[in-house]
Amino acid sequence: MRTLTGVGSTPRSGVGAARWYRSDADLTLPDRPDPESVDVDAELGRYEAARDDVREALRDARDRTAERVGEEEAAVFEAHESFLDDPTIVEDVEAAIREGMPAEHAVADRFDEAVSQFEGMEGRMAERADDLRDVRDRLLRALLDAEGDGPTGAADLGALPEGTILLAERLTPSDTAALDPDAVAGIATVEGGRTSHAAIIARSLAIPAVVGVGADLESVADGETVLVDGEAGEVVVDPDEERREAVREAGPEAIRERVETSDGRAVEVAANIGGEAELGAAADRGADGVGLFRTEFLFVDREAPPTEDEQYEAVTAALSAFDDPEDRVVVRTLDVGGDKPVPYLDLPDEPNPFLGRRGIRLSLDEHADLFETQLRALLRAAATDGGDGLAVMFPLVTRVEEVERAVDAVESVADVLASEGVDHAVPELGAMVETPAAAFLADALAERLDFLSVGTNDLAQYVMAADRGNDAVAEYHDPLHPAVLRALDRTTAAAAGTDAWVGMCGEMAGDPALTELLVGLGFDELSMSAVTVPDVKARVREVDADDARSLAADALACETRSEVLDTLGLDDRAA
Amino acid sequence: MERTVTVEPEAGLHARPASKLVQTANRFDADVSIGRADDGDDGLVRADSMLSVSGLNVEHGESVRVVAEGPDAEAALDAVCDLLTSPVEESVDDDAEDAP
Repeated sequence: MRTLTGVGSTPRSGVGAARWYRSDADLTLPDRPDPESVDVDAELGRYEAARDDVREALRDARDRTAERVGEEEAAVFEAHESFLDDPTIVEDVEAAIREGMPAEHAVADRFDEAVSQFEGMEGRMAERADDLRDVRDRLLRALLDAEGDGPTGAADLGALPEGTILLAERLTPSDTAALDPDAVAGIATVEGGRTSHAAIIARSLAIPAVVGVGADLESVADGETVLVDGEAGEVVVDPDEERREAVREAGPEAIRERVETSDGRAVEVAANIGGEAELGAAADRGADGVGLFRTEFLFVDREAPPTEDEQYEAVTAALSAFDDPEDRVVVRTLDVGGDKPVPYLDLPDEPNPFLGRRGIRLSLDEHADLFETQLRALLRAAATDGGDGLAVMFPLVTRVEEVERAVDAVESVADVLASEGVDHAVPELGAMVETPAAAFLADALAERLDFLSVGTNDLAQYVMAADRGNDAVAEYHDPLHPAVLRALDRTTAAAAGTDAWVGMCGEMAGDPALTELLVGLGFDELSMSAVTVPDVKARVREVDADDARSLAADALACETRSEVLDTLGLDDRAA
Repeated sequence: MERTVTVEPEAGLHARPASKLVQTANRFDADVSIGRADDGDDGLVRADSMLSVSGLNVEHGESVRVVAEGPDAEAALDAVCDLLTSPVEESVDDDAEDAP
């Protein structure tokens, strides 16, 4: 038994047979035979069969990705299919085969020529070179590896045998979304951090995952028995009986009722929702409502903004999925910016979109009209049965004036609805605390609002000045850096003197190893990917609020991340 | 027959708009070709080839010439030009993996 450590990203474990995923698998061609000896008809048949296989795999990948991740990630597979069946390529490959070239050589030569046409160019043209390489590799894999016992490539991700532990250098979001959660017992990667997109998708699919293991992972061979423990952040090769028996694939049972600490402090445990399809799973896992309802899904992949009625329907659907009068549904108003383009919004092309026009900034100015439509839908939904549970929060707040203007906008929408005789109510209003500015101003924000909700991924990114999409600075993204913890404390302490409640809706909230710390910091609500709701609820019940407070005080006194880890008893946790 | 239109999709003739164009050109019993309006006949390439269409590197706002010949030429020309002149974009991130 040997143990490797990384960053646990889904608090589940799984055991199975290791299988390396090599997107750039070595596709060495056999020596080219004498053209006279090539059976032209057989080679043409192999080429056609390979194209059929690849086309089917691309369509599967497209549909699966569209369903699980989104149309954007899925679109690339359509472009791949267009290259696969490109008539100029097909004609040239068939002509080369007729001259006595085996199918794999004809494919490799023609695609390499096409790749060189795009290679070395900038931007979108360079992406075409990647697309062509991907299609070439899929075709070569189908041609060279018909028995399917070679290295696992992109084409195989959706069809892995049950009990696979998938090992990879790194996984793209579409790689991860292609996985079948019933077949894949776990994932371990060399690169990546807890908030990398692949880690977040693995979590939403409830696949045990450990990312960022480092080069040590390369020592694991295909076929070895491997246990992935996403809670401890460990990859155990050849685990002993004791370790295997402790595997928790399913996680704890859902706890339907609300939970409190062992000494009676109530903590709401809610789910983050990115689309209506996720509401059922959140309710099944016992979430006490929705702590973050992202509305972006209503706006993307279409040619015009959603109507007021469409938005009203989506919000009332969420309210009826959580119809217990105590259950809140916190809707975040539109949060887009230059890094998440929406075509009809005509967003500016900015050199640094994370520091540009986004979130509430757009809603108050450039897109005040969309904001008004969204608020109309929300105020109408607040007046329906179950609408009492509705809360609305504004993203990327940095200034008190923004909150004042947003509240004014809500009031003027209420006046307009009243003058039109339309049923409406003003829901609870809150701000996201995801910038250092909002944390510094938490007292002023809390005085003007009903609640604050901390988005820890962005807060860590802005406090630590480290792009969360950049693996090279992954070690800076951990919310356990003292600077981030102190920003959290400042937020909860400032709100404690007001009537406002404070929640957290970042990835940190879903980590049961941090529940005691967060309770001790004074969070009233924790909202997370639905998969970890039962873990966190179970953990809340074990926590003693007084002990939690002293643990938080100890953590806040730390000056380095390693002292924080030491204090929390998480010494072996990677960044 | 032929027509000259301005490319509306924000992404130009790349990625999704390009594959949609190729799929459309393939649907008709017609030979459709496309090129930059300024490049004359030498600039025309096959509209049913993703490789050729992507290789044009046409951006949003450029003027392109579409030529169609064959039994369904008119219908093909209509469909292709419709596509080129609607501001349909590559779809965007559905935010599924975007945590706050």
